[in-house]
Amino acid sequence: MGERTFRGGVHPEEMKELSCEKPLIPYTPQGDLVFLTSQHIGKPATPVVKKGDRVLAGQLIAEASGFVSANIASSVSGTVKAVELRPTAAGGMGQAIVITSDGENTLAEGVGVKTDYHKLSNQEILDKVKAAGIVGMGGAGFPTHVKLTVKEPEKINYIIANGAECEPYITCDDQLMRSCAGEIVEGLEIILRLFPKAVGVIGIEKNKPQAIAAMQAACAGHEKISVMPLKTKYPQGGERSLISVIAGKHLKLGMLPADAGCVVDNVATIRAIYRAVCFNEPLMERTVTVSGDSVKDTGNFFVKIGTSAAELVQAVGGWKEGMEPKKVLFGGPMMGVALSSLDVPICKNNNAITALSYDTVGEETITACLRCGRCNRVCPLGLSPQLMQVAAMRKDYERYEHRLYGLECIACGCCTYTCPAKRPLMQLFKVTKAEIMAAKKK
Amino acid sequence: MSELLHISCAPHDRSSLSTKAVMRDVLLALLPTTVLGVWAHGWYSALIILLSITAAVLTEYAFDRVTKRNNTVTDGSAILTGLLLALTLPASVPVYIPVLGAVFAILVVKCLFGGLGHNFMNPALAGRSFLLISFGTAMTGYTLDGVSAATPLAELANGKTIDMLALAMGNTSGVIGSSALGLIAGGVYLLLARGITWEIPTATIGSTALFLMIFGGHGIDPAYLLPQLLGGGLLMAAFFMATDPVTCPSTTKGQLLYGCVTGVLIGLFRVKGASADSTTYAVLLANMFSNIIDELFIPLPFAFRIPKDFKKAIPKPVIILLVITLVAGAALSGVYVMTADRIAENQERANQAAFLEVLPGAVSFDSGDELKAAVEASQGAYGSVTVTNALAGLDGQGNVVGYAVAVRNAQSFDGGLALVVGIQADGTVNGISFTELHETAGMGMKCGEPDFMNQFVGVNAAKLTLNKGGASAGADTIDSVNGASVTSGSVVDAVNAALDFFAANLK
Repeated sequence: MGERTFRGGVHPEEMKELSCEKPLIPYTPQGDLVFLTSQHIGKPATPVVKKGDRVLAGQLIAEASGFVSANIASSVSGTVKAVELRPTAAGGMGQAIVITSDGENTLAEGVGVKTDYHKLSNQEILDKVKAAGIVGMGGAGFPTHVKLTVKEPEKINYIIANGAECEPYITCDDQLMRSCAGEIVEGLEIILRLFPKAVGVIGIEKNKPQAIAAMQAACAGHEKISVMPLKTKYPQGGERSLISVIAGKHLKLGMLPADAGCVVDNVATIRAIYRAVCFNEPLMERTVTVSGDSVKDTGNFFVKIGTSAAELVQAVGGWKEGMEPKKVLFGGPMMGVALSSLDVPICKNNNAITALSYDTVGEETITACLRCGRCNRVCPLGLSPQLMQVAAMRKDYERYEHRLYGLECIACGCCTYTCPAKRPLMQLFKVTKAEIMAAKKK
Repeated sequence: MSELLHISCAPHDRSSLSTKAVMRDVLLALLPTTVLGVWAHGWYSALIILLSITAAVLTEYAFDRVTKRNNTVTDGSAILTGLLLALTLPASVPVYIPVLGAVFAILVVKCLFGGLGHNFMNPALAGRSFLLISFGTAMTGYTLDGVSAATPLAELANGKTIDMLALAMGNTSGVIGSSALGLIAGGVYLLLARGITWEIPTATIGSTALFLMIFGGHGIDPAYLLPQLLGGGLLMAAFFMATDPVTCPSTTKGQLLYGCVTGVLIGLFRVKGASADSTTYAVLLANMFSNIIDELFIPLPFAFRIPKDFKKAIPKPVIILLVITLVAGAALSGVYVMTADRIAENQERANQAAFLEVLPGAVSFDSGDELKAAVEASQGAYGSVTVTNALAGLDGQGNVVGYAVAVRNAQSFDGGLALVVGIQADGTVNGISFTELHETAGMGMKCGEPDFMNQFVGVNAAKLTLNKGGASAGADTIDSVNGASVTSGSVVDAVNAALDFFAANLK
């Protein structure tokens, strides 16, 4: 053993072999592009264009409406078709700007102009990241400029580049690290500029040997940056897991990574920072894996933000005969969001479309809790899901919150994955957390 | 797309592990023990196992049907309870025993408390204890090859050496599932298959061993310790009963403490208990503590724990508890060793007084080699009663005025009793005197009062019988103390053994 890892966790079937050898190829959208104004944690952005406006690729179309919010840029050139409500991945409707592409991809003024970041001040770097509308691209969608704005930059010891990619099926970060290792390392150098005492650590699970090799090669000559191979285990790529492995510290509820002297960013986010700072490029495209047992072929794509999910499914040949999906997920099977329809756009934080011909959750029957304690052993936070579920079902919220620390749950789903009785633990914990939070607000 | 997509909350993936698989693993682990049990005890034991499993499954099925619940038989837990129960039964019990036990285990202990996952004690062991209380004779009638024989631990208590190979294969008088080899193989399989964790078996076996080393009276003599650890259901308890997830704590520290509680109780019951079923009651009692133990050891989330650098300075409460236990244990055994001589001296003095009491005419007592040999030869001849000493009482001129026979009955209402019977040369009982009697106050203790004891004076009979009620029927019957027929019975048994010994060796 001797591998660096965190306590607990599970080993779901990786399923990465389906798509891990598919290189990233750019996908050109065919239909309209839909830009939801809420693609990030925080307040939705405010549209600055109206129906009929002509927009260019890279042009700002919605602007951040507060500090914790993010700009949105158009990823194509074309005409604004409408500003209206459109379905979101979560199942509701959200304000969106719909743009019909002219197929030209004409860049807006200033976009793509090379800049030497050494000549920029720290504040200028931060402003560029903010202007580009970069958010956490691993899934959370937290605005990156907020993460990088730390009160005491000297107290940050680690900049962690998250290349763990512990979710099953997803391989786009793997491919990105293989093909754009240099850009990621440059991006990390830019962040290190902001934090004088920090070192950069790129954490990659050991099931991606080529990515590890590529990143190690790219790190050569960069003294403050190193690659740390990590044990293949879910949720290795969780912020808290990475911090506990690399910095040896555990976060509590409400603590930010900065409190433990860490800044954690996904490798795709770091590459976006590089593109934004050095090429003045707003966040216009992202990497997406299309995989699962229902699609004819699989693939990794550079996808323009706003592209419809249905189009990407067609890009890999559509559904396999007789294997039509029961479930389509944005993300992987452990933390992904189940879609009710494919008529939803790719947002800044969607790293994968996983189409499954089976629905494990629907097929399993839930049986009584055996109190076997397997959930307690896999919880990466050291919580006791077995006791939490009893308290939650009795609605003993006092005990749930203060005796069992139930609100600390990060909803990684390890307990639910491992439960032999197939109990919907994480679902129960989510509801309980919401109820406790709602009661607190009153 | 013709069909609608399913939506649900993440995670969308589930491990292949299911309740059924968990139960199947335990059943697999019990296979070697079951096979060896049938091999050692014959096909009739296979019938017992089959009956027990069938009764368990049918009871659960019927309960589900009658109460209109979902059918829970398919999860395999009823099969497991049935098998576990059968493996803890003697091989020659009548056919109704496994059936009644399984019905009680499933219906009362499991179903009525809410079914799988809600029973507060181990159903199989609860069923077994129900049978032990209700059908004591059948349940303790241990046989080997159809012949009744003492169990290895009973033989060990009588100072015999145990055939370890037979113990390993389960080819001994005892319950069906008693093969040490089969149980260890099953336990190791379960550990490897992660059906159980190491904490409970280790703590249970370890603490039993420790307790027996300190208080067992034989130190670390392997001829005593090994049979104690491999026999008497300890392995069954440590690997299969105490580890039942429903009734054991779910935290690591909790499981360690729970294992220790089980182990200490087993040790205590074996050293001090009157019943041969130490493990059954130990596990059932420990079950009662599971929830409290879990409550004590709710683990702190990692983020709330003290960082390692500080931790070294603060000893864990577990270590403190362990040290206290060890010190207390050592002190107790130290006190015992230091006072052992004094205790023996006091005992000797009490015995002398008792001898004088039952043979008032004697001024000195003599124990010849012949008598010693006779005492030695009589060991094991009187069931639960042993003749511990026999002396000839001499008057001032050296003439024999009678004999004093000291007997000890291991079976009484509470932990055994010992007494001295004074017998005149012609066989007339001169009187009895207790050297050890600690029965229930107001009931069994009344046997120590003259009303009861004087009945023996002047009786001259080969065998006395106990009269449990009504008027006394004759000179050779002894009226039982009201409400203490067990104690009265064991006194009469002890006196009868002394009379037998007298008739065989001294008359």
